[in-house]
This record gives sequence, C-alpha cells and structure tokens, in this order.
Amino acid sequence: MNEEQRPDKLSARNVSVMYEKDDTSFLAVDDVSMTIQEGEFVVIVGPSGCGKTTFMNTFAGLVRPAKGKVYMDGEEITGPSAERGVVFQQFALFPWKTVSENIEFGLKYRGIPKEQRDEIVKKYVQLIKLEGFEKSYPHELSGGMKQRVAIARVYANRPQVLLMDEPFGALDAQTRTIMQEDLSGMFLTEKRTVLFITHSVDEAIYLGDRVVIMTARPGKIKKIIPITRENLIPDRRQMRYDDVVNLKEFLELKADIWGLIKAEILEKHIL
Amino acid sequence: MLAVVSVISVIGVWFLLTSVFRVIPPAFLPPPQNIVTDFLRILGTPYVGHTLIGHTLVSLQIVLGGFFSAILIGIPLGVLMGWFKRIEAIVDPLFQLLRPIPPLAWIPLSLLWFGIGIQSKIFVIWLSAFVPCVINSYTGIRLTEPLLVKAALGLGVKNQRDLLREVAIPSALPIILGGVRIGLGAAWMTLVAAELLASDAGLGYMMQMARRALEPSVIILGMLVIGILGALMARGLRMLEKWVCPWVKEEEH
Amino acid sequence: MSRSAENFWDKVYREKTVLSLSSVLGFLALWHLATDILGLMPAIVLPSPEKVFFTIYEKILAPVGEEKLFGHIGVSLVRILVGVGIALGLAIPLGILMGWYEDLDSMASPIIEVLRPIPPIAWIPLAILWFGIGLGSKVFIIAIGVFFPTLINTYIGVKFVDPLLIKAAQTLGAKDKDILWEVVVPASVPLIVAGVRIGVGLGMMCLVAAELVAASTGLGYLIMLGGDDLKPELSITGMILIGILRLLADRVILRIERRVIYWKKE
Repeated sequence: MNEEQRPDKLSARNVSVMYEKDDTSFLAVDDVSMTIQEGEFVVIVGPSGCGKTTFMNTFAGLVRPAKGKVYMDGEEITGPSAERGVVFQQFALFPWKTVSENIEFGLKYRGIPKEQRDEIVKKYVQLIKLEGFEKSYPHELSGGMKQRVAIARVYANRPQVLLMDEPFGALDAQTRTIMQEDLSGMFLTEKRTVLFITHSVDEAIYLGDRVVIMTARPGKIKKIIPITRENLIPDRRQMRYDDVVNLKEFLELKADIWGLIKAEILEKHIL
Repeated sequence: MLAVVSVISVIGVWFLLTSVFRVIPPAFLPPPQNIVTDFLRILGTPYVGHTLIGHTLVSLQIVLGGFFSAILIGIPLGVLMGWFKRIEAIVDPLFQLLRPIPPLAWIPLSLLWFGIGIQSKIFVIWLSAFVPCVINSYTGIRLTEPLLVKAALGLGVKNQRDLLREVAIPSALPIILGGVRIGLGAAWMTLVAAELLASDAGLGYMMQMARRALEPSVIILGMLVIGILGALMARGLRMLEKWVCPWVKEEEH
Repeated sequence: MSRSAENFWDKVYREKTVLSLSSVLGFLALWHLATDILGLMPAIVLPSPEKVFFTIYEKILAPVGEEKLFGHIGVSLVRILVGVGIALGLAIPLGILMGWYEDLDSMASPIIEVLRPIPPIAWIPLAILWFGIGLGSKVFIIAIGVFFPTLINTYIGVKFVDPLLIKAAQTLGAKDKDILWEVVVPASVPLIVAGVRIGVGLGMMCLVAAELVAASTGLGYLIMLGGDDLKPELSITGMILIGILRLLADRVILRIERRVIYWKKE
C-alpha cells in the first residue's frame, strides 16, 4: 500500500504550547512538527523540563496548543479520548477499586457486556502476571505491580494509540528492567502505536523504533534517530535487556544520543 | 456575574413575598427594607437597655475575657501534657471524662453556682475555649517530629526544657494557633447561648427580647452582627497565624 | 526490643495506668468528701456522687416533667437523628453539585457565605419564632449546625480532587457525568466523612443549646430543669447522659468511616 496515501496516525504541525500554573507561564514547546506512523514505537528523550510531557499532552487532548494543531488519522485532536490511552508516571490508579475493577474501567464506557469484560480482564491480568491479585487494592501493591495494572488498564481498553509518560520513572532499577522487557514482549504480541517519554537513553534505544531528541526549554526537536536494521539488531525486542545493552551497536547509538543531550544541557545551563 | 444575579434575585423574591404580595406576615419575616430601617434605629436609640453598639460591646467584653483566660491556662497545660508523660497520665483521664460534655451543658450548673452575673457566663465561655486549646496544644507537641528532636540533640541542645522551648513548641505553634482559633469560635457560640438563657444585656439578650416582642428584623440584625464579628475574629486570628508562623504553607480554605 | 527495654516500657505503661486510675479515683473521693462527709458544699449547689446515682435510678422509673428518663433520652435522640438526616440529605448532594458545576457554585456561594458565619445557636430565637417550641425548632437548629461543615467539606473534596484521576478517567473514555459519579465522588469520600463527623459534633452541641433554651422534654431540658428547680443532680444526670451520647455518636461515625474508606489502610 502506498504510504503516502494513508494519513499519519499522529501528526503535529507547528505546535507551540504555553505552560501555565498559578502565576507563572512560559513557552514549553516551540514550533514542533512531527509525524508518527501506525504501529511505530516512538520515544522522546531530552533534558528535564524540556516540554516532553506537555507535548505529549497535546496528543492526549489534555492540553490545547497555543499555536499549531495536532491530528489523529487526519482529524484534529480537540480533547481526550479512549482511542489515545495514557499511562502516567504516578500510576493514577483508582484507589477505591480493585485490580480487576481498575482494568475493567474503560471497558464499561465502550458498552462491552459484563461477561466479555470479565474475560478481557482475566486475559490482561494474566498478561501482566498478577494472577491472585485480582481483588487486591492499589495500596496493597508494590510500585511495579501498580504500574503493570496501569498499563493493563489502558491496554485492555484497546486504544489505537498509547501515550506513556515516563511510566517506569518511579520504579527501582531491577523492576524497571523487568517492566521494559514485559512491555517489549507485549508490544510484540499486540502491536499498537506508541509514544513513549523517558529520561533514560538505554530505555529509549531498547524500546523505540525512533528516538526523538528534544532541546532544553522551550522544547524543539533537536534530532531524530531511527533505530533500524542498519544500526541495530532488529530482534532486540526479543532479547534480554542485559544482553542488548552491551551490544556494540547499542553502545554506539547510546554515545551518539547521550552526546547530543549532554551538549544540550551544558549549552543551556551555561546561559 | 451569576453571583450578582443570584443575590439580587433572592432579595427580589424576598421583597416580593413580604412587601408586594404580602404572603409572609411581617411578624414572621420582615421585608428587606425594614431590616435597614431597624438597623439605623437601634444603632442610635437604645433597644432594651443599650444601642446595638452597646450590646455588641457587652458581648465582646465577656467573650474576650473568658477567651483570654482560657488560652492563658489551656495552652501551657496542653503543652505540658504533651511533653511530660506523667502530667498527661494525671490530667488526661479527668479531661477525657469531662470532654464529651458540651460546654453549653454547664450553663445551668454555672448559673446555680455563680448566679446570674458575669461570672457564670465567663466560666462557661472559659470552658469552651479551654478544651480546644488544651487538645490542640497537646496534639501539636505530640506530633513533634522525632527527627527534628534528634537533629537538635546532635547540635548540642542538652536538657528537656530547652528541647521543649527550641524544638517542640515552635513546631507545634501552627496547631496550637489552630486550637486558639477553634476556641474563639466555640467561646463566641457559647456566649450567644448563655446570653439567650440568662442575661440582661448583650446581643443574645437583645435577640431574645426581640423575639418576645415579635420583631424578627432585630433578631436578624443580631444574627448578622454575630456572624460578621465571628468572621472578623477568625480572619484576625488567621492573620496572626501568618505573622507568627511565616513558615507555614498556605492552605486552600 | 531488648528484654530490659520491654520491661521499661511495661513499667511506664503500668505507672501511667496507676496514675490515671488514682487521679480519677482521687477526683471521685474528693467529690464525695466535699459533699457528704465534710458538708463543704450544700446539696443545693453540688450534690454528692451517690445522690446523682440515685437520681438516675429514680428517674428511670418516675417521670421528670413530662417523661421518664428514657423518654427524655428518646426525644433527644429522635431530634438528633431527624436533624442530621435532613442536613446530610441536603448538604452532601448540594456540596457535590456545587463542587463540580462552576455555575452552580457562583450562584449559591454568596448566599452560603452570608449564612455560614452565623453560628447555629444564633438562629434559635428566629427558629422559635417560626416553629414554636416543638420538634421543628430543634430539628431546624440541629440541621443548620450539621449542614454547613458537611457542605463545605463535601464541596472541597469534590472541587479539589486529584486532577490526575480525572485525566486518567478521561483517557479511558469516561464522560463528564460519569466522571463525577464514578471517580470524583468516590475520591472525595474521605473528606465528606470528615465533614459529617464535624457536622454531627456541632449538631449535638446545637441539640443541647436548643433544648436548654426552648424545650419541655429532652436531655437539655433536664439540665435546665435541674438549675431552675435547684436540683443540680438532675443537671449532672443530663450532662453525663449527653456526654455518653456524644461518645456513642463518635464511635458510630468512626465505624462508618472505617467501612466506607476500606481502601486506605494506614
């Protein structure tokens, strides 16, 4: 099929976003344009406070750009939608609902009847390996478990696009590695379009098809580096994280990307 | 904008029901304009003994008298109870026994003991401000972060008294002041009740007399003055809190 | 903990209990001493502890005023329950709607802000004028006392819900009204219950006040009668019973709190 004819899954055109809170407001995202194709896993990295989250929120429909527009399937995005699921860094689980009830949440609004909902919930509980915890409440779970539920909750809702905002940021290193491998596995089983934000360059290269490097605030796109057959073993997603991280190609990519980010940090901080 | 519209419509309906359609008799609810005229009336000429201002002053004096003596005793007692376990052991059970009894309930006994004069009122008002002051002072001290105490010890603070003075009390101040604020509110309420029951001056007395005379506008005026004074006192205390404890973060509401 | 540390804390605990017990007993003994034995206070001013006991026993059988003791307790209970019921039935829904719909907030707020600072007790003369001395005036006062703290707490709970939870619900497909009832209200329950607790406490104070000023039955009336008839043992009886009622109410609300906030174990 001719790629030119299919509209991009997600696209941003000259998007600028103001960040406003209490008395302060400043330009967070400055004239960013990019496209994401269906089935792509795109990762955004960049220094702290560079506007990554704000930019992603425009795709989520939680923030309106001051200038420019965002589109999904060619139509302008004007608000949040179940088709663009979000996984937050702070989990955002509903504390008064059990694991099953949390995962089930979005399904009700899709009009799915009870028996089917139960089946779907069961499938995803197995997928995130939390059998036995269906009736547990979030406060009884560890950080890693909570985030798995958060991911399952969005996945179960079958959005066309997944927006993940540093989902593993609050987890310790070991849990993080496991989650990355899990997510990788899930992505292979059920391919979706993913936009993923992270601080960690390792994570970006391991998970992403393309890595977008943003400048410091106000955020612009500094460079986009594709992770493709040419510069990395394509089966990396099926490999263990620890094995991938030590590959020569991986280390080269990491040096490149990290060099760019570091330059950005040094430059802007000197200012 | 909506706020203005709603206020105007409420007053409007009130006016219509009382003045124009005469559905509600004036002995039940006065028309809004009567409130204004009566306000001006009792501002200047005495009503059952004092002008509005006179009654207000009487009430204020009694409240503040009882209130200040309550905090003078209550706060130190609460602090000592919070810091010294022995004192807590002795005072606490008595305190817990007497605490569930609403201060208002003491009024008849107080009248029996002290007569109809000012002392009986001051006693009850004192009681109502005393309890929150003690509780909050106690809680404030008990919630002193052990980490801060350890830090102070490591910096050379030697004895219990200094620890109390330098660490526990300052950290407990916001809570203590909160208790003071609650105490003032409680004192105010108790005063009104006491004046409703047995008084010959003051805002509560004024309202009771107005009720007997079937003059609801004076009652309402009394209510408004009481409300405004209460709000002003609360606001004043909040500002005091901010001045005494500048390090506390602002809370919504 | 080491053996000696355990013993130390045991000793402290025991010492505390001993001190507490002795202070209560000491208080009772002093009371007894001052009244019965030394006759320091005339019975009219302060009755001895035994007199209070006998009064309670006596009044269970013989009526005081219009009712026997349990009758008075019952009347007070009914007033409290009705008043609390009405107030909660109004305050909670109104608080939720005001917290969620800004327009309603703008419309209702000014009226609420004018009425709120007026202490419920100050409403008593007006209430008597409007409702007379019957059940209505008491229920009205109690309801006002319970209404405002509950309303405010509910309002705050709803208005300041963690926005993250709302965003999560939105990105899972929930729409405005669903979000209010499925997410915001459950999330506000802790604050709502806190408001109820404060409100009920205030309501009990209002009960006493209203029964002191204008009633012919009820515990507050008993207290008042004791003063009027120079029978302080009646007053003390009433006061003790009110204290017990208050403690019971606290327990009940604590129970409710625990059941309703089951997801948050500290």
